[in-house]
Amino acid sequence: MSDAAMPAAQTFHDLYRDHRGWLESWLRRRMSNGHDAADLSQDTFVRLLASSQHIADLQEPRAYLATVGKRLLTNFYKRRSLEQAYLSALALLPDDCMPSPEQRWLLLETLQALDELLDGLPTAVRRAFLWSQLEGLGYHEIAERLHVSERTIKRYMAQAYEHCLLVQM
Amino acid sequence: MIGSTPSAEARQVVRAAAQWLALMESGAANERDRANLQHWRDSHPSHEQAWQKAQLLRQRFADLPSALAMASLDRPQTSRRMVLKRAVGAVALVPTAWLISRQLPLDVWRADLRTATGEDKKVQLADGSLLQLNTASAVDIDLKNRRLTLVEGEIALNVPGTSPLTVQTHFGQVVVSQSEVCVRQGQAGCKVSVLKGSVQLQPLRGPVFSLRAGQQVGLQAMGAGRAEPFDVLAPGWRDGVLMAQNQPLGDFLRELSTYRPGLLRWEPELESLRVTGSFRLEDTDRILTLLAASLPLEVHRRTRYWVTLLPRKNSV
Repeated sequence: MSDAAMPAAQTFHDLYRDHRGWLESWLRRRMSNGHDAADLSQDTFVRLLASSQHIADLQEPRAYLATVGKRLLTNFYKRRSLEQAYLSALALLPDDCMPSPEQRWLLLETLQALDELLDGLPTAVRRAFLWSQLEGLGYHEIAERLHVSERTIKRYMAQAYEHCLLVQM
Repeated sequence: MIGSTPSAEARQVVRAAAQWLALMESGAANERDRANLQHWRDSHPSHEQAWQKAQLLRQRFADLPSALAMASLDRPQTSRRMVLKRAVGAVALVPTAWLISRQLPLDVWRADLRTATGEDKKVQLADGSLLQLNTASAVDIDLKNRRLTLVEGEIALNVPGTSPLTVQTHFGQVVVSQSEVCVRQGQAGCKVSVLKGSVQLQPLRGPVFSLRAGQQVGLQAMGAGRAEPFDVLAPGWRDGVLMAQNQPLGDFLRELSTYRPGLLRWEPELESLRVTGSFRLEDTDRILTLLAASLPLEVHRRTRYWVTLLPRKNSV
């Protein structure tokens, strides 16, 4: 197989060969676990491969990789922080409220999916939405808690529903 | 993630459905609003479809146990700066009173340092001592009074200076100076292993005694057990390694599962298989794969967090 026959793949190969080590150590400096860093570095390249970005056009490949890497890193820590918040909340439950082990882990997966779904919503909107959906609070009560008008809450709720439905499309 | 960008029409329908829903939930909808909604739903199949999807979304939230879901989804959002700070390992972030702090033990929340399951953490204290936390551990640090309280889990502490640090456990105290020690606390007792130098122990019952490098002892509510030798040079969790020497698989898996978030189950008949080897803790999935390669068992992954080990059928 001649190199010229597969210019794109060749370029990707070059990119991978030249920058993978750099990206991995870049991530490693930002993470406590070397294995996670290696995983994320692979993910970054996979993203690049799947994206429509023309590799040959990349002027600053490392800047690009760092941008993608940063995004993945943020997601990674979001998932981790959800996991920790969840496990801590579980630990505080009285024994008779404790879900079965199977339920516990299925629930975590559901929560992760919903967390991703809500990602990107402004904090106040997210909170208003959760209070309404999970605690069944009325708009009036939410408005009081957030010190805004009921009209604003209605707008928040519509915004949250729209966001979630769009992400699901 | 979004596969392809939805059309402008589709977005419009979604927006309308969201606004209808928000109106209906506001409690301010009247008969005419309800009639109008019905009319909107009937006027195009895509409207009804969007409405149904919105109902499903509500249902997903309604099915959740609310306290748990609230604590998880409404956790404080970590900023990027905090992410980096944490990544450097300087300070652990401890979610505080925002949690459902009503009912239960708060000990863990006052802890200054904490690790999640599968995480380990190494910090240098202000006095130059080195503290390392194993998986799922929590420590209160009070350097002013030269005291560390092991709330749960396991720590390694190296105090190079002559000013002693006291490790308080539920089962007694360990005084460390110019020495290095591992302290592991469980439900029923704790284990103290001296790696370097010697330490003073004060059990809940019985006299103070000292323990030197290469010795370990169990402390229980009833007092101290007998000191036993152990291999100081054998790699362990501090090196990110889980060692097994002809160990029953059940014991090995119980230990391994303290490093894995999630549920690890195995059939009773696997309990007595024997494991030997040293395994890198940074990838516990890989450890399972290695076990499956060397022992007559199969790994079944129900989800990322729910793994079952079964005896391998028709093993050759």
